[in-house]
Amino acid sequence: MGATRLLMVDDEEDLELLVRQRFRRRIRKGEYEFLFAHNGKEALEALDQNPDIRLVLSDINMPVMDGLTLLGQLEETKPDVKAVIISAYGDMENIRTAMNRGAFDFVTKPVDFNDLQITIEKTLKHINALEQALKNRDRLVAIRRELDVAKQVQLSGVPAELPVGDAFGVHAIMNPAKEIGGDFYDFFELDEHRLGLAIADVSDKGVPAALFTMITRALLKSSSRRHDSPSRCLHEVNEFLCQDNDACMFVTVFYGVLDLRDGSFRYSNGGHNPPRHLAAGGAVSELPLTGDFALGIADGHDFGENVVTVVPGDALFLYTDGITEACNHQLDEYGEQRLDGVLGGGAPMNAQELAELVVGSVERFVDGATQFDDITCLSLRLRSPSGSAGADGSQ
Amino acid sequence: MTNKTQLTIRTEQDEKAIILCLAGRVDGTNANVLDEAVREKIDAGQPVLLFDFDELEYISSAGLRVLLLAARRMQAAKGKTLFCGLSEQIAEVFRVSGFDHILPVFGTRSEALATV
Repeated sequence: MGATRLLMVDDEEDLELLVRQRFRRRIRKGEYEFLFAHNGKEALEALDQNPDIRLVLSDINMPVMDGLTLLGQLEETKPDVKAVIISAYGDMENIRTAMNRGAFDFVTKPVDFNDLQITIEKTLKHINALEQALKNRDRLVAIRRELDVAKQVQLSGVPAELPVGDAFGVHAIMNPAKEIGGDFYDFFELDEHRLGLAIADVSDKGVPAALFTMITRALLKSSSRRHDSPSRCLHEVNEFLCQDNDACMFVTVFYGVLDLRDGSFRYSNGGHNPPRHLAAGGAVSELPLTGDFALGIADGHDFGENVVTVVPGDALFLYTDGITEACNHQLDEYGEQRLDGVLGGGAPMNAQELAELVVGSVERFVDGATQFDDITCLSLRLRSPSGSAGADGSQ
Repeated sequence: MTNKTQLTIRTEQDEKAIILCLAGRVDGTNANVLDEAVREKIDAGQPVLLFDFDELEYISSAGLRVLLLAARRMQAAKGKTLFCGLSEQIAEVFRVSGFDHILPVFGTRSEALATV
């Protein structure tokens, strides 16, 4: 490390000699390097030319620009430069003014060089601590950037491509809020005629929530391969999530299995907003709750199950509360009524058009107000055998 | 920001319980404020904590988590956590998430306090 550069501001020429003399050892060892100015104006010029100087030792009474004016300038234009005032012992009133203008400390004339040395070291320590704090702040900014990476990880935690089938169309949209959120959806083919549909929302935001989300998704996927029954799967995932969950994080999960052979849709709802069943004729109905609660809260719970029948032309719409609780500038919520109105709007649409229609409607309603929660939805439409109901959305 | 976005927490001391009256909204941006306030009360050794939601307009899942944490901590301290005054919307949030199975919810303060 190079010498610490200090700026001495005094109109007495002999002080310069004294300082060079008294600090000669430290100067020789390369610890300190002194620069000298004879008034406030010269000092400001020296600081402009030497931006690495952090400590100024200044007299008060000087021609052209005095020490108090210099302090005022420093405070305004060079907040990271600290000043120690050197003034006559009897000049306490000016010293008080200097302290009030932001001087870090003072020493009195005639100068006790031991005391000056201690004061310089103490001030430098303080300056270093400040610089360290600034560095920490920069590090925080860097962590923020890492969070953006985590967001990418989260987005990669949903299926990159949804499977395409002859009998159905499926589409999902996820618009994460600014902070990393905890929504996920999943859609997988359990075998050639059974489809798994899931949507979930973790109670918190940030990296812990993102991790909890990924764990839940992995557990559910693994359970779904071993158990046919959705309630059994949620039970198993819940038991896992309840272990050592001191943070009380929880996740609402809806999971259902659609059997394409008979159109039965068997599901269990762990505290999630009820998805909608859109009949080909336009009627919208909620999939009744199964009397369960969010996962991660209480272990030993047996989850319930419901079955509904979905016929060709029908659609299922799964969503998170980021849709219904999206707020406009007046803080009115989008709400379930608007959602049902849009879903039941009548025009036959394929899965993608349906999801885009809802998210578009939410975006128009919100009108650019800050988005606090992830907006996630998953839509599935069973194609009519003839395609006549427009179920596959053919133009 | 309008008042609607803010959360105010008022504390009342009843002979049986400490009552936390929440007004406004609890969401991800202020759930930690509620958490701190609740922690303070629990650490002070209150045997019964009653949340009065009479003036609460909205609670997000981040807020629900704070309530769950409070109930867990009170339980660990052999205390009780009660809830009352839920608006229709908040009751719906409790119903859908299943929290009404887990947390004791009452219509009014006196109904809640009668169980203590």
